[in-house]
Amino acid sequence: MNEESRLAELIACFILFEIGSTTLFQMAADAGQDAWLSMLIGSAVGFMLLLLYLWIHKMNPNRSLYELCIHFLGKWIGKGVGFMLVFYFAYESSRNLRDLGELAAFALLNRTPLAVLMLIGILVVGNSVRYGPHIVFLVCLALLPTVILSYLLLIFMIIGKGMVHLEFMQPVLENGLGPVISAALPETVSFPFGQSLLFLVFFPLVKKGKSLGKAMMISYICTAIGLTIINQINILVMGPALTKVIMFPLLQVVQLIEAAEVFERMDVLFVIVLFVGLGVKILMFYIGAVTGLAQITKIGYRKWVIPTGLLIFAASFASPNFSHHLWLGIDVVVNRVDPYFQFGMPLVLLSVMLLRRKKRMQK
Amino acid sequence: MVGKGNQDSNENLPSDLSQSVEIFRNRLGKSSDFKAREIILPGESSPVAAICYFNGLVDLKSINKMIATVNDFLLGENQGKPSPSSIVDIIPGDLRKSGNIDNLIQAVLDGSTVMLIDGIPSAAIVSLPGGRRRSVEEPSSQTVIRGPKEGFTEDVATNIALIRRKIRSPELRFEDRTIGRVTKTRVSVAYINGIAKDEVVKEVLTRLDRIDVDSILESGYIEEYIQDTTATPFPTLINTERPDAVAGNLLDGQVAILVDGSPFVLVAPVTFFKFFLASEDYYQRYDISSFLRLIRLFSFLVALLLPSLYIAVTTFQQEMIPTTLLISLAAQREGTPLPALLEALLMELTFEVIREAGVRMPRVVGPAISIVGALVLGQAAVQAGLVSAAMVIIVSFTAISNFVIPYFSMSAAVRLVRFALMLLAGTFGLYGILAGGIPLLIHMVSLKSFGVPYFLPLAPLSFTNLKDVLIRAPWPLLKTRPSYISSDNRDRQASKKQSKNSK
Repeated sequence: MNEESRLAELIACFILFEIGSTTLFQMAADAGQDAWLSMLIGSAVGFMLLLLYLWIHKMNPNRSLYELCIHFLGKWIGKGVGFMLVFYFAYESSRNLRDLGELAAFALLNRTPLAVLMLIGILVVGNSVRYGPHIVFLVCLALLPTVILSYLLLIFMIIGKGMVHLEFMQPVLENGLGPVISAALPETVSFPFGQSLLFLVFFPLVKKGKSLGKAMMISYICTAIGLTIINQINILVMGPALTKVIMFPLLQVVQLIEAAEVFERMDVLFVIVLFVGLGVKILMFYIGAVTGLAQITKIGYRKWVIPTGLLIFAASFASPNFSHHLWLGIDVVVNRVDPYFQFGMPLVLLSVMLLRRKKRMQK
Repeated sequence: MVGKGNQDSNENLPSDLSQSVEIFRNRLGKSSDFKAREIILPGESSPVAAICYFNGLVDLKSINKMIATVNDFLLGENQGKPSPSSIVDIIPGDLRKSGNIDNLIQAVLDGSTVMLIDGIPSAAIVSLPGGRRRSVEEPSSQTVIRGPKEGFTEDVATNIALIRRKIRSPELRFEDRTIGRVTKTRVSVAYINGIAKDEVVKEVLTRLDRIDVDSILESGYIEEYIQDTTATPFPTLINTERPDAVAGNLLDGQVAILVDGSPFVLVAPVTFFKFFLASEDYYQRYDISSFLRLIRLFSFLVALLLPSLYIAVTTFQQEMIPTTLLISLAAQREGTPLPALLEALLMELTFEVIREAGVRMPRVVGPAISIVGALVLGQAAVQAGLVSAAMVIIVSFTAISNFVIPYFSMSAAVRLVRFALMLLAGTFGLYGILAGGIPLLIHMVSLKSFGVPYFLPLAPLSFTNLKDVLIRAPWPLLKTRPSYISSDNRDRQASKKQSKNSK
């Protein structure tokens, strides 16, 4: 496990992670046709968070998030925070697992029990976790071109078919800035942009070089713009009112594409691309949790794979139905839990780091 | 030169001739193919010399000539009492001396001729190879339209010569090992000094030295011993019958392993995409070669996925099929008794049986098998309503696609994985294929061949090496060797700057 990954591999993984399940749902649906503004505001705030994380990493580039916590917050507090992070990541992983199961049941196998679908999902992901983060980064690199090409093709087909109605953009700021900002903060910040916190665990695995921060920022900006465009396309095709009530709006949009009689139900193929994004997200959170457990307890990485997998699998049953799952996700986790982890905890960590450095300088 | 399991007893040859011949006979268990021809001069009762060899391993004409030379010498000017050791001096050919019985017996077993001379405790080992071996023929497993038609043979010396004729460089090196406690098989490691990575050569030799087994009958034995991991259907070494392919690989910095007794030469390290390159790619125009490479990669995907996709789509995702096609498919499937998964498994297994029969059966019954295979299992099965015509098309196209992959070891891996994917597709549709495909991809990315990641140059990404993978760039642009395999000496041809400077 002592090998180092190259920057391109981590970046590929980061892009897939950010795309993840975001395209599955309608972001900032409450902002209606101004969702793109909310997205941009959200991503701008998320960018600040990314800068915060990169700052933390830059101050101590050899330690992962958990090691930083233990080192700077003290052994017991650090471990406590570490365990909370582990559970947070595992929970996020389980949420995505549930999404994956629901999506599979919705789009592909509507007569197979959800538990079976999620079991297959967690088995495939757990098997991937076994190989460790370095191999997973490589696989992301191998998958990235396919995913990006699929999205580009999709956008071209939607535009080429004349499905985009630009008039759905108007009126801009119908109800003023209020709803736009309330949709952006903290909802779009927490999901998906703030989740880049996870990568503080993976930064130390990359070969040391100056360009890490720059590459992360560029890829972040590109991904954020891409996500905003895709999010807005849903609205431009179906209108803000309809988009708001559909469970998987992008899938619905893809279903509307009809090309040459042969490609009538492209959504079924497109589900696979969505699965890849969801899978990467489950996988990275899972690896984040397992790495955390390994680093906190000093027990081998592989020994934690199965227990964590069981935990994630069990947690994915937390909601009795999908509506409850969405409510729990948006109203509770995204609005009330995420900010503490994505903003509060790193801020405390950074201040402690700065204080301790100052102290050392004075001595 | 001396491999493992060769215990040197340091027993020396006695100076008495009849005694030595007796030792030879006893050691070889009075084997009937062992011959010891004694040279008795006229008027003497005891022989002056004896020539020991195995019938069929040596060239009898040369031996007769040698005996004649010795006779002439003894009966000629030195009439009377010639010094026994001077006999050795007049023997023509490749010669070395030894007094160790084990060495001498091994030399006879290797196919050399040993000349024992009365009165001196050492013997001459002469190499007079002969006997019948297959001559250099066109390779049967990898054919080309354009390019050299010669293939390796079972004789390692011939194979080395075939490579040497292509690369006339003093830097082309062969290092020999003798592996196999009983078979004592000669294994030769070929590389180009300065182009191959030293670590890889060393690693190959270390892994070869680690082999301790009684027999090596084919390069497949070596492959299983030295590959990085056994738990994979995918080959991590290439085996090829083509000297030009080996020469090309050596010039890329790879290492070749030649095993006596097998026309299949191993090449390491390899990456996944190397299995889709045919040596012909480099002889044809680059645009055609690039197209053919893409066709091969496409065929790989078809061979791997087509039956499972068909099962998944017809069983679970019928909405993906265009309506008109769906109606005709449904009409065909109406009469067939089995679900798509069983039907596909049945047909695929039948095809595998036919294919295996095609390899094993005596050549004379070939036409019978073709008729049974093509008519009975194809057309008749459809007409009888046992399988649908669409399934026959799918299975046939899959089978044909499988033959497009230039290396048999890779197409065998595909055959194996295909069945697993079919089962997954039959139970969970596209979701199942994805659940099988992702672990497969991760597995392949995690594989290594002598330290080289299997999925290079895609993951890890290496732009400079992409010019000779999915497509082949024109030769003038292939300025460098693949950097992941070759050592720092990477320039194939002078770059423009250098050639200008040299002018």
